[in-house]
Amino acid sequence: MSASPGLSQDFEHLYGNHHHWLLAWVNWRLGNAADAADLAHDAFVRLLTRPCHFENPQQARAYLRKMANGMCVDLWRRRSLEQAWLEALAAQPEPTAASAEQQAMVLEALGEIDAMLRELPPKVAHAFVMAVACDMTDNEVAATLNVSSRMVRKYVAQAMLCCMKLEARLTAGLADAPPVPVSPTAAAVPPKP
Amino acid sequence: MTVMASPEPSHRAMEEAAEWYALLRTGDASAADQQKWKQWLARDDAHQQAWRYVERVGRRFAPLQASPDRDAAVAAFHQTVSAAPRRRRQVLLGLAGGLGLSWLGWTGWRQTPLSALASLWGTDYRAGVGETPQVALPDGTTVWIKALSGFNLAYSDTQRRLELVAGEILVDTGKDPLRPFVVDTAEGRLQALGTRFSVSHGDAGILVAVYDGAVRVTPAGAGASAVVPTGRQVRFTADALQPLMPADPARESWRNGLLLADGTPLADVVAELRRYHAGHLGVSPQVGQLRVFGSYPLDDANRALDMLASVLPIRLSRALPWWVSIEPRLKSD
Repeated sequence: MSASPGLSQDFEHLYGNHHHWLLAWVNWRLGNAADAADLAHDAFVRLLTRPCHFENPQQARAYLRKMANGMCVDLWRRRSLEQAWLEALAAQPEPTAASAEQQAMVLEALGEIDAMLRELPPKVAHAFVMAVACDMTDNEVAATLNVSSRMVRKYVAQAMLCCMKLEARLTAGLADAPPVPVSPTAAAVPPKP
Repeated sequence: MTVMASPEPSHRAMEEAAEWYALLRTGDASAADQQKWKQWLARDDAHQQAWRYVERVGRRFAPLQASPDRDAAVAAFHQTVSAAPRRRRQVLLGLAGGLGLSWLGWTGWRQTPLSALASLWGTDYRAGVGETPQVALPDGTTVWIKALSGFNLAYSDTQRRLELVAGEILVDTGKDPLRPFVVDTAEGRLQALGTRFSVSHGDAGILVAVYDGAVRVTPAGAGASAVVPTGRQVRFTADALQPLMPADPARESWRNGLLLADGTPLADVVAELRRYHAGHLGVSPQVGQLRVFGSYPLDDANRALDMLASVLPIRLSRALPWWVSIEPRLKSD
C-alpha cells in the first residue's frame, strides 16, 4: 500500500471536520475525557494507516463511529480484565512473588487470550484456558465445567482452530483491519431534514 | 490490501492440526497415535504450516503458564468472560456490520417501522430497543434519549443546536447566556428559555412539554410563534399550532424507567412497551381499546406485561421467550 499524494490532504480534511465530533461522541460513550482523547487519537491513527475514501461526511462519520465503538468495547473489556486480575491477586493468601514487570506481562497475555477467544461461547473459552494455561487434563476440566471429557476435547480443538485462524489472519496483516466496510445501507440514508 | 505474507493453510489442514493438538496435549495419546501424528505432519507442507500456527497460539499462553499467579490470572479471565455485559447498546449499531447482532436484536428491529429505523441511521446520539441513555453535553446540558430515538449535535460559537431526528428526547439545558439553545425538528424550531422540556416526534406532529422554564415554538411554515410556559404542552406541525394543554407527566417519566398510563388505550401502552422489548409483542384488536391506569416499569417489559395481565381481562401467550401475544382472556382461564 503506497501513499498517494492526495492522501494526506484527505486525512487533514477528515481530521479537521470530524475530530471534535468524534471526541465528543467517545467522551459520551466512555465518560472520561482522558480516555476519550486517547481513543479518538488512536482512531485517526488507524485511519491514517488504512486510508479510506468517503463519498460524503455522513459516511465518514458512520465509519468513524463504528470503528470507535469497537475500540470502546475493547477498552472496557481490557479494564474489566485488569480489575478482575487485581482483585484476584489481592485475594490470594500469600502476596505475589512476581515483579511488577512480570505482572504486566501476564496481564498483557491475558488481554491477548481474551481477544482471541472472544468470539467463542464462554464454556469453550473456559475449557481452553484451563486446559492450556493450567495444563489440566480433559477429565479435570470436564469435572469443573460439568461436561463430558469428550466434550472438553471438542472444545479444545474448536478454540484452538479459532485461535489459529486468527493467527493466520494476523500474519496476513488483515486482523486489525476494521471489521466491515460501511454498508451501502448506511451510506444511502438521505440527509437529515 | 493485496499483499499476503503466506497463503493460509486449507481449513481442512488447520482443523486436523487443532484436533491433533487436542488429542496429544493430554498425554492420553498412545504411541500409535503419536506415530500417526508424525506421519500426518510429514505428509504435507500445509500440515507443517498449520502446526506452526498451533505452536504460535501455544506461545501466547507462555507468560501465564510460567507465572506464580497463574491461578489468579485464570480466575480473572473466567470472571471477565462470565460477567461480560450483554452489548445492548449495540443492538442498533449491530446492523451496520454484524457487531454482536443477535437474533433477538434483529427481531426487535423488525418490529419497528422501517422509516423510524432508517432515520436513526446517521444520528450522532441514539438509543436502541430498551435503552434510555443520558448524554451530558459540554455546556452542562443533559439530554435523555428515549428508546428508538436519536438526535444530532451541532454546537457552534454562536448557538447550541440539536436536531431531533426521530422519537423523543428530554432536555435539561445548561446555562450559557451567550449561546441560545435551540432544537430543530421536521416541523419547526424550539428555543429554550432556561429550561427542562421534552420533544417528541410522532405521527400527529411534534409535541413539546415544558416542565421548567419556557420554550418558544416556531413552526416551520407559519409565521406566528408561541411561548409554552412551565407545566404546559403543545402539539404543532409546520402549518399549525394547537392550543396549550396541561403537560403530560408521562412525557417525563420514561427517563426514570416508568410508563404512566391514565386511561391510555392498551394498544398505545403496548406500542410504548415495544420500544423496550426485544422481540415480537402483538396485541389482539379485541383488547387494544381497553383502558389502562397506573405505572409500569419500562426497564422490565415482561414484568410490565405480567402486571397488565393481572389487572385487565387479557392473557399473555408466550410461544417463545421473545414472542408475546396479548389476547382476550378465555372463560376457562
